[in-house]
Amino acid sequence: MPAVTHRELVVSGVSKAYGRTPILDNVDLTVDAGEIVALTGENGAGKSTLLRICAGLLRADRGRVLVGNRIGYCPQEPALFELLTCDEHLMMFGRGVGLSRSEALDRGHALLAEFDFPIDRQVVTADMSGGTRQKLNLALAMLNDPGLLLLDEPYQGFDRGTYANFWDHCQRWREQGRAIVVVTHMLAELTRVDRVVELPAHPSHRGRH
Amino acid sequence: MTGVGRIVIMAEMHGRDLVRRHIALGLLVALPLSFYLASAGKGRQSLPAGGVGMAFAVGGAALFSALSSLAVDQRLVLAGYRPIELLLGRLMFLGPLGIVIAGLFTALMTALSDPASPAALLLGLVVVAVQAVPFGLAVAALVPRELEGTLLLIGVVGVQLAVGPEAVVAKLLPFYGPRRIIDIGVSGHGSVWGPLGQTALYAIGLFVIARVFVGARLSVRRHGPTDGD
Repeated sequence: MPAVTHRELVVSGVSKAYGRTPILDNVDLTVDAGEIVALTGENGAGKSTLLRICAGLLRADRGRVLVGNRIGYCPQEPALFELLTCDEHLMMFGRGVGLSRSEALDRGHALLAEFDFPIDRQVVTADMSGGTRQKLNLALAMLNDPGLLLLDEPYQGFDRGTYANFWDHCQRWREQGRAIVVVTHMLAELTRVDRVVELPAHPSHRGRH
Repeated sequence: MTGVGRIVIMAEMHGRDLVRRHIALGLLVALPLSFYLASAGKGRQSLPAGGVGMAFAVGGAALFSALSSLAVDQRLVLAGYRPIELLLGRLMFLGPLGIVIAGLFTALMTALSDPASPAALLLGLVVVAVQAVPFGLAVAALVPRELEGTLLLIGVVGVQLAVGPEAVVAKLLPFYGPRRIIDIGVSGHGSVWGPLGQTALYAIGLFVIARVFVGARLSVRRHGPTDGD
């Protein structure tokens, strides 16, 4: 009996332009549950744009996106309130996904413990290091127990150990059946993913090589 | 209930954020105070100036609260918040804060300027504060960044201050009703009901504008489901 593959993300013929500048041209992408896909490409190739479209934050000009489960989206730049603490973010985002304060804190603390988040959670995000902010950013993306993780260079600011741990976590999330799309430039880590999808260069860069 | 819970936690978090901004909090009080004291030599005529200062301060706080957190707001909508819950959360915090400031200023102005009707003055200042929140939110929803929003805020409130209360343009601006109520507080003559109703209609209109444009700006597209295999 053949194994049943559950599609978590289907992108069909997606195109996007900013003004007259085309960014994405007829892009197709499918990601299955339990699969890690690395999204690569030159600067301006549209990797973040594609992820934002998949998350629903941006509307494609053409094409269709289907998703199989809840989405966890981790933007490249942590979108956080500068003067709120880690716990306050967890409670606020947790309420959005239907968790009580205590549930949000329990789940959030468990996630942050996985990322070796500093113990003092009463520091406001403006006083956190870049890597610590990014850990919180990632934990907020995981708070709704997503089936599809859209991660836009989520390891910015991580030290070497945390960076290595991040890829270990990706393996574990894959084993849990989650689908993961990671925007990355780290060629050394491409062996740790199931597939690499390279977006073509931005039109203004094409033909330079 | 869930929606109410989300509005309450948004209000709470905006409160926590603002109380950590000590300078901003100080300016929220200092700005209307400086407007009032700068024209204190004009006797009771300094009272409307204090009201205009409150419109600047509270409207500016609402404006920056909305525009400085666009990226977070969109992520919150992705997490499950509705745009109107984000707006109501800000309104729920900034409105009462403005009312508290209005109460303090009424006490100060009553002691120093001896208005004919302190009750009407209190009502006028409360209405300024409450009107300034949807005004700031509407301006924030219409412009892309803080600079444009600040200039628009200065423009509208500045014109309100510059033109006389009988000018046609003054009657079209958002703080005309509150200004009239403050004038009633100064003179002790007239009914507050007309300007109060006018202000309420204007506030609702401003909030609807904010809702429509914020909804469009923060909208998250919910994709259809895959067929599973």
